[in-house]
Amino acid sequence: MEFDWTAEDRAYRADLQAYIRKMLPPGWRGYDQTDRPAYKAAARAFAGGMAEQGWLTQNWPKDYGGAECSAWRQAILGEELTPIGEPRGSQYMNVNWIGPAIMRFGTEAQKQYHLRRIAAGDVFWCQGFSEPDAGSDLGSLRTRAVRDGDDYVVTGSKIWTSHVGIADFCILLVRTGAPDSRARGISVLLVPMGHPGFTTRHIASLAGDESHYELFFDEMRVPVEWRLGEENEGWEVVRWALQYERVGSTQYQRAALQLAETAEAAIANGAFEDPEVQSRFGEAWAACQAARMLTLLVYDLREAGSPPTADSNLSRLISTDCLKMVAQLSAEVLGLEALDRAGPAVDGVRNAALSVAAGTAEIQLDRIAIDFLGLPRGK
Amino acid sequence: MQFSLNDDQRQVMDSLETLLRRRAGRERALQLTATGGYDHELDAALADAGFFQIAQAGEHGALDAALAGVEIARRLGVTGFAASALVAPMVLGEPCEARVALAEAPANRPVRLGGTAQLLLALRGDEALALETEPDDWIAVDNNRAGYPLARLREGAFDRARSLGAGSGGRLRDAWRVEIAVQCAGLIKGALELTVDYLRDRRQFGRPIGSFQAVQHRLARLAVLAEGARWLALEAAYRDARPDLAATAAAFAAGGADTVFRECHQLHGAIGFTREYPLHLWTVRLTQVQRELGGPTRHRRDAAQMTFTNPEVLALSVAPAV
Repeated sequence: MEFDWTAEDRAYRADLQAYIRKMLPPGWRGYDQTDRPAYKAAARAFAGGMAEQGWLTQNWPKDYGGAECSAWRQAILGEELTPIGEPRGSQYMNVNWIGPAIMRFGTEAQKQYHLRRIAAGDVFWCQGFSEPDAGSDLGSLRTRAVRDGDDYVVTGSKIWTSHVGIADFCILLVRTGAPDSRARGISVLLVPMGHPGFTTRHIASLAGDESHYELFFDEMRVPVEWRLGEENEGWEVVRWALQYERVGSTQYQRAALQLAETAEAAIANGAFEDPEVQSRFGEAWAACQAARMLTLLVYDLREAGSPPTADSNLSRLISTDCLKMVAQLSAEVLGLEALDRAGPAVDGVRNAALSVAAGTAEIQLDRIAIDFLGLPRGK
Repeated sequence: MQFSLNDDQRQVMDSLETLLRRRAGRERALQLTATGGYDHELDAALADAGFFQIAQAGEHGALDAALAGVEIARRLGVTGFAASALVAPMVLGEPCEARVALAEAPANRPVRLGGTAQLLLALRGDEALALETEPDDWIAVDNNRAGYPLARLREGAFDRARSLGAGSGGRLRDAWRVEIAVQCAGLIKGALELTVDYLRDRRQFGRPIGSFQAVQHRLARLAVLAEGARWLALEAAYRDARPDLAATAAAFAAGGADTVFRECHQLHGAIGFTREYPLHLWTVRLTQVQRELGGPTRHRRDAAQMTFTNPEVLALSVAPAV
């Protein structure tokens, strides 16, 4: 057991910080995503520069141009990028799980076509998973893909999809099995945005301008060769990808940074002198630090080659708890000032949305109860 | 970074496990509670096996002492092991064979494992004091219904205490905080394990009550507290009780202890309040340890002050590129 970063890790962090200072457009933190072309261009430049440094896909296997870096490098990357507003845009999904899913389940042609683009930092993806009637119960999804010759004909809709406004491709879950086939009848399609029959609708959201969209498929014809993995075996792809989505999210560092900035504001306006307020800060800080340890543990397991465990659910749950604690404190010490995002305020609504995204807190609690504590399943 | 045990640590923890299986556990703890006793036999076995010197061996000895302390608390050892093997070496700068108890001055307040202590380390402002004590120096707290034995110093006994020098108080406070975090982490884990076992077996409405989602989610939250408390305690020990980390670890563990006490008893129902059933062995000790050194509120305030009013300390945790 050993809780120090190696000299190599520390050097990497310093290089990364220097790169961030050089590349981050002014005012990126709290960036307004409503100017989509500017947002996309900035994220593409940032990710493209990382690709040139060999950092964008450093977690990938050497065969695919990666460096097979340690999981700890990914942790450092997350600690540096998550708190300042993820300057890669949605490309973190590409490199963390969409690319790896294509490596694992894709055809040679898919690998040739997609991996090169992802590795160059050039493309943005979105994730067409949830549906109006399939949220936490993803296995009940109904968007239908019917085989017609060498095509699938896709009809249905997706909702709550993020990053659609900047996306170039969508990783889409469809039902290819019987309507009641649940997890045994799902397939994955890799579809370019704007494909005929594919339309989108922006949903204005309190959680950020790129947070919520709806996707519509009206007899969209998709060549069978765009399917990722075997027909009706898409659930395996999803499960595999979701493990990566939840593994080692460094939201704790975002919460810690927000808390530090809130404390600075509270010291400046005198609120910090109240012993009760100090106690609340200490409580929130301790939670952030516990979240850090529980998340680094997940990286350690990944580094050791352990199969995914419910430790990632503990990490996610406490991290999103922290974000809410911090938001509440910010509101208390800043009052209505906390609603002015030009100041040191924490966006409490956005923070609250994070315990809904990537598996709700309730799903995390279910997994902890069953997989971590070994409690019996309900009826 | 490496969260798993290294080979040496694994060996030490395996031998501790064997020792605790023989010498500690619920039945032993119930026996001791009936007589209000300290476990001298467990102490002797730990001493024979060299555990009291654990903090002196290896590069991160305090971490090893903390690892052992968590397990001993979890397995209900009635021993001042963590005070002797973890706190005393940090404060005295040398290994300590004596049975150690920790107190805040004035030391006539109830002291955990006081009556059997040979050395009392007391905190008075920024100064630590040491006092060698005999059994006659102590008066047992006799309405102590469960938990660790408590005792008060006799009037005048504290006059013999000698100062360990100006500034020694901070070191004692920080080391004690790690000890509190270690104790709470072990006790929380033990209480949760018992509760999960019970709720897996206990059936109502034709099914195990642990299969109800309303119950499962509460237990899942306790799991987060238990794991977080343990890792923060270990990290604080690894960092040699750095003041902000010690306060942070104690804040999380002692703060979580309240919740664990309340939830484990509520989820057990009536049986959890009986002396025949072992839950109280963990939970009552937890309520004792968690209120030492000002309890969660003081740990939290100190954690906040130490972290947010000192830019150098804050930069150890939060130093964004922009």
